[in-house]
Amino acid sequence: MNIVVLVKQVPDSGSERGLSADDKTVDRGSANNVINEMDEYAIEEALKIQEAHGGEVTVLTVGPQQAAESIRKALSMGPDKAMHVVDDALHGSCALATSKVLAAAIGRLSPDLVISGAESTDGRVQVIPHMIAERLGIAALTGARKLVVDGATLTVERQTDEGYEVVTAATPAVVSVWDTINEPRYPSFKGIMAAKKKPVETLSLADLGIAADEVGLSGASSAVVEAGKRPPRQGGTKVTDEGDGGVKLVEFLASEKFV
Amino acid sequence: MDFTYTPEQRQLRDAVSALGRKYGHGYFVEKAKAGQHTTELWAEAGKLGYLGVNVPAEYGGGGGGITELAIVCEELAAAGCPLLLLVVSPAIAATVIARHGSAEQRTELLPGFADGSLTVAFAITEPEAGSNAHRLATVARRDGDDWLLSGRKCFISGVDQADRILVVARTTDAATGRLKPALFLVPTDAPGLTKSKLDMEIVSPENQWLLYLDDVRVPAGALIGDEDAGLPALFSGLNPERITVAAMSAGTARYALSRAADYAAKRAVWGKPIGTHQGVAHPLAHAQIQVELARLMIAKAASLYDAGSDLEAGVAANMAKYASAEAAALAVDTAIQVHGGNGMTTEYGVATLLGAVRAGRIAPVSREMILNFVAQHVLGQDKSY
Repeated sequence: MNIVVLVKQVPDSGSERGLSADDKTVDRGSANNVINEMDEYAIEEALKIQEAHGGEVTVLTVGPQQAAESIRKALSMGPDKAMHVVDDALHGSCALATSKVLAAAIGRLSPDLVISGAESTDGRVQVIPHMIAERLGIAALTGARKLVVDGATLTVERQTDEGYEVVTAATPAVVSVWDTINEPRYPSFKGIMAAKKKPVETLSLADLGIAADEVGLSGASSAVVEAGKRPPRQGGTKVTDEGDGGVKLVEFLASEKFV
Repeated sequence: MDFTYTPEQRQLRDAVSALGRKYGHGYFVEKAKAGQHTTELWAEAGKLGYLGVNVPAEYGGGGGGITELAIVCEELAAAGCPLLLLVVSPAIAATVIARHGSAEQRTELLPGFADGSLTVAFAITEPEAGSNAHRLATVARRDGDDWLLSGRKCFISGVDQADRILVVARTTDAATGRLKPALFLVPTDAPGLTKSKLDMEIVSPENQWLLYLDDVRVPAGALIGDEDAGLPALFSGLNPERITVAAMSAGTARYALSRAADYAAKRAVWGKPIGTHQGVAHPLAHAQIQVELARLMIAKAASLYDAGSDLEAGVAANMAKYASAEAAALAVDTAIQVHGGNGMTTEYGVATLLGAVRAGRIAPVSREMILNFVAQHVLGQDKSY
């Protein structure tokens, strides 16, 4: 089974992040850029399927030149090769345009399965996997906490607020995963050294047959109008026990989806 | 001059750091206080090839150098898990065997170092000789094809975790009749070998031991190299030891300073974080500078060693060890002070490092012996002892 894993480089969610003052795109220059956390679970899932069923795992990244470092890091976990779509015109692309580029790149690889994280920690829109499936005309199994491959049949447990749904589809398909699905491996030292020698194909928009004005800030279907700092944390909720403290506590926890 | 690590070295640093943080200082302290070992961390690091980064690739190792091993030591310590046996087994023993072991010894032992499944302790220090290899009283004498080893060793780390011990003994030179050092691999369960635990005031999952060797019989193949290989073999292990122990100290210092910096930025009394007071911030900044200077010397020493400049590396490794031990003692002391009373609690995880960083100014080579070395070999002074 040939698998494409989508890997995005994002600013480290553990440190200070912001938008550029001039064009309100994600500020990558002053950030520590890392692999989107959820994508590591996607890589792990792809590698587990490869270990069980064979085939090839390809990392696919759309991003600036500096994303090459994240690609190497992804490869150090074990995938066989990578494709990097890099083009200055991509700066500021919206989700629709990004999905167009990703779908075109996936089309060249014609995999049986595309696996991605359920969301990125910078954009957090969760729509890319759906958009890609729509563009490619294949099934989307999103938000998986479990994935079972049986021949050409995929079965996922789709995580919801209330529980999970069991959804099946035939390959080819797009599966997006949450961090509940597995425990990503650490790259071994040999994996790190081997990643240096793995092939990374670099493509431009022209290689994919996409015009520059279809993507980027100018071709974006949405625009960031205004951005502000997150408001300071508000005081907590105080539950006064008037005999029903336990119930109120559970109500609060449930409303915040802790239970 | 290039001050950047390769992308692979940076990735190794990130990967080891992530593994170390998965376990963390709480795990380390819990194991130490329960009298247990960090077996799970050691096994996982071994499986990932982090313990064998410096073992030649032909024996299943990573094919890297002491630079890589120093990164592993530093990052595990910076995650709150300073593992002393890294200095002993992969740094000293694996280097000695890779560089001076026979083909049989390399084939038999190096794959175990590569995946961390083999742990070898190192026994040089003696009650009457300290680390002076010329005054060692442990002797090895021939008995047929075998050797019989007798003597005492002290402050030997991790004997209870090791499969074998690399014992420094002395043999009689056939030509001159004088004693000269030779290295032997002794199984930890060898008849005639007994050990007794030294109670130490160090929070560590790794123990210190006294060893008694009473006519411990080992075969001819237990001798590293040949009888003349002893001194060069011994010295080949010393630079890796100093560089990795320095890296461990630097990592420990980084851990303490990061805890202290977090605390100083968050702990607010009289309306603002204590870190906004120079009386708190400056000692932290001062310690940070000392740690970074030490790290620079560690990188230089490792780079020289990996480039094959053993003599130059020797000076740098000693200076790195000195600087890093002093910086770590300062960093932990400063971190405790910044924490106030919390600094001495187990919960805040800084006083737990006190014994280890204090010992780092004494072992594996004391600051005084390094000052002697620098005075004599760099400044050209007559030997003082």
